[in-house]
Amino acid sequence: MKRYTPERVPIIRLRHLSRDYYTIRLGPWSRAQYCRPGQFVHLGLPQCDVYFRRAMSLASVDVDRAEFEIIFKVFGRGTKALSRYRRGDSLDVLGPLGEPFRPPRKNETSIMVGGGVGFPPLFYLASWLVTQGRDPKSIEFFYGGRTAGEIVERSRIRRLGVRFHPVTDDGTFGAKGLVTEAVAEYLATQPIRHPRLFICGPGDMLKAADNMAMRLGWPGQVSLEAPMPCGFGVCLGCVVPLRAGGHARVCCEGPVFEIGEVLL
Amino acid sequence: MKPDLSVSIAGLKLNNPIMTASGCCGYGEELSEVFPLSRLGALVTKSITLEPRLGHPPPRTAETASGMLNAIGLANVGIDGFVAEKIPFLEKQKTRVIVNVAGSSQAEYVEVCARLNDCPRVDMVELNISCPHVDAGGMEFGVDPAITEHLVSEVRKVFTRPVIAKLTPNVTDIGAVARAAEAGGADVLSLINTLTGTSIDINTWRPRLTKNRGGLSGPAIKPVALAMVDKVYNSCRLPIIGIGGIATAADVVEFMLVGATAVQIGTALFVEPDAPVRIIRDLATYLRQHRLGSVGEMVGKVRKY
Repeated sequence: MKRYTPERVPIIRLRHLSRDYYTIRLGPWSRAQYCRPGQFVHLGLPQCDVYFRRAMSLASVDVDRAEFEIIFKVFGRGTKALSRYRRGDSLDVLGPLGEPFRPPRKNETSIMVGGGVGFPPLFYLASWLVTQGRDPKSIEFFYGGRTAGEIVERSRIRRLGVRFHPVTDDGTFGAKGLVTEAVAEYLATQPIRHPRLFICGPGDMLKAADNMAMRLGWPGQVSLEAPMPCGFGVCLGCVVPLRAGGHARVCCEGPVFEIGEVLL
Repeated sequence: MKPDLSVSIAGLKLNNPIMTASGCCGYGEELSEVFPLSRLGALVTKSITLEPRLGHPPPRTAETASGMLNAIGLANVGIDGFVAEKIPFLEKQKTRVIVNVAGSSQAEYVEVCARLNDCPRVDMVELNISCPHVDAGGMEFGVDPAITEHLVSEVRKVFTRPVIAKLTPNVTDIGAVARAAEAGGADVLSLINTLTGTSIDINTWRPRLTKNRGGLSGPAIKPVALAMVDKVYNSCRLPIIGIGGIATAADVVEFMLVGATAVQIGTALFVEPDAPVRIIRDLATYLRQHRLGSVGEMVGKVRKY
C-alpha cells in the first residue's frame, strides 16, 4: 500500500477524560508500526456534516496490537463530531503524516513543554523514549493548563517515571502560573547541563516558549498545528512563514520545526 | 463486456475522462504516493507563472458548508523550477500531462507557454484566466471576452499542441467568454474555476482569509458548475472539461450528460486522496448497469424538459 492511501480503521474505545477532553483508540491499523512521536493522522469523519479531515497528533501507538490513540479537546465542529462516535464505528485514517521529533542525544535532558492540547505528542515522545531504554529521570515533563481538569492522564504520566511538573493558571493543580515561567525558573535553578526542549501548545504559549528558548540558546523543537485541508502536501493551505524567508508546509516539512525556524 | 472509458479531446486520447484539477495535486509527486498516476485520464498541474511565487500569507484556506474557500495566491516554483525539477518526475509518469499557466500580463502567459512548447512531455496547456484571488491577472483576463480572445490567440501562436481556456463563473454571460476563447483559437474549454466568496470569524470580526476573499470550491458549487457547463455546451462547439464539486461517479455522469467530455476532480482530493480511483471504478459500474458501451455515449444527452 502506498504512503498516502487512506484506510478505514474501527474505533476500539472512546472515553471522556475530564472537562472537554476525550481519548479515542483505533485499530487494527496496518500503518501503526511506521509511526513516530510528533507525527499525526488526518482523520476523515464519515456520516457527519464536517467537510474537511481533521489533523490529530498521535498520543500513543501500540505497535504489537496495531492500535493508536488520539487525545483531543472538543473545540469546534470537528472535535464535537469526533466525540460522538462509538465503539465499532470506523474513521478514515490517513497517515502517519509529517516529520517526527528528532530524539535527544544520550547526554541530553529532554524538557517537555506542553500546554493544553499540546500534551498528546509530548506524551507519545516521552513514552517512546522510555520504551527505547532512556532513563525516565532524563525527562522533565512540564504540562500546563488553565485549571486542574485540563491536566489529563496524570496517572499515565506518573507511571512513566518521568519528572512530572504540572502547572495551572489558577493554581488548582501543581504550580501556579504559566508553563513557560515554570520551565525558565527550573532551568535557572537546576544544574541541567544539556537541555533539549520539545514544545507543543496553543499559539501564545508556543511563541513565548520559542522566544525564551532562542534568547537563552536552548536547542530543541516546536510542534505546530494549522488548519489543514489535505494533510499530504498538495493544497498548500497549512503553510507557515519561516524566519529565513519562504513558507513551509506544516503537514510535510512540519509539524515539528526547530526552535526559531518559524515566524510564530 | 468491459465498457470503454476512454475519451478523445482535441485529438488526444485519454484512458478515461477523469483528470485532477489544477491546484489540487501540486505537480503530481505527492499524489503518486496515493495511487499510480497512470490510472488518471490526465494530470493537471498547479498554475505555473514566469517567476516563482510564494503565494499569500496564511491563513489562506477556510472550511465552509460542503466546500472550502482558498486564496493560496498561485504559489508555484516558476517556469524555470518547473522545467528543471518537475518535468523529470513527470517524464516518468504514464499519464497525460496538462500544465496550467497563469500570469500577471498577457506577455507572461505567452512566455511561459513558449517555454512549455519546448517540453514534449507537456501534452496540453490550460490557461488560468479565471483565478479570483490574485492582485493582478487571473480573473481580470477571463471576465472580458475581448481580452480572452486576444490572450488565447497570442498563446496559440507559440504553443503548437492543444490549448485549454479555463473559464471563470464570476461573469454575467459565460457563453460570451466561451465563444471568445473559441474565436481566439482555444481547442478545449474547462469550467468552472472557483466562485468568489468569503467567510468571517464572528469572534474576531476578521475574514478567515488574509486576502479577505477567496474562491469557493467543493460540492457546494456543483449545481452552479453544471448549469454553466450546460450553458457553454449550448453556446459554442468546443469540447468541455467539467469542473466543480465532483466527488462521485454520479457527479461525473451529470457533467457528461450536460455536455462535458471529461472532468476534473479538485477539492475532493483533499478529503479523499484516492477519490479518482473510486470514481473511475464506479463509472465503469454505471456504464455496465446502463448498458452503455462507452462514456462518450452520454455526452450532452441530458433529456431536457
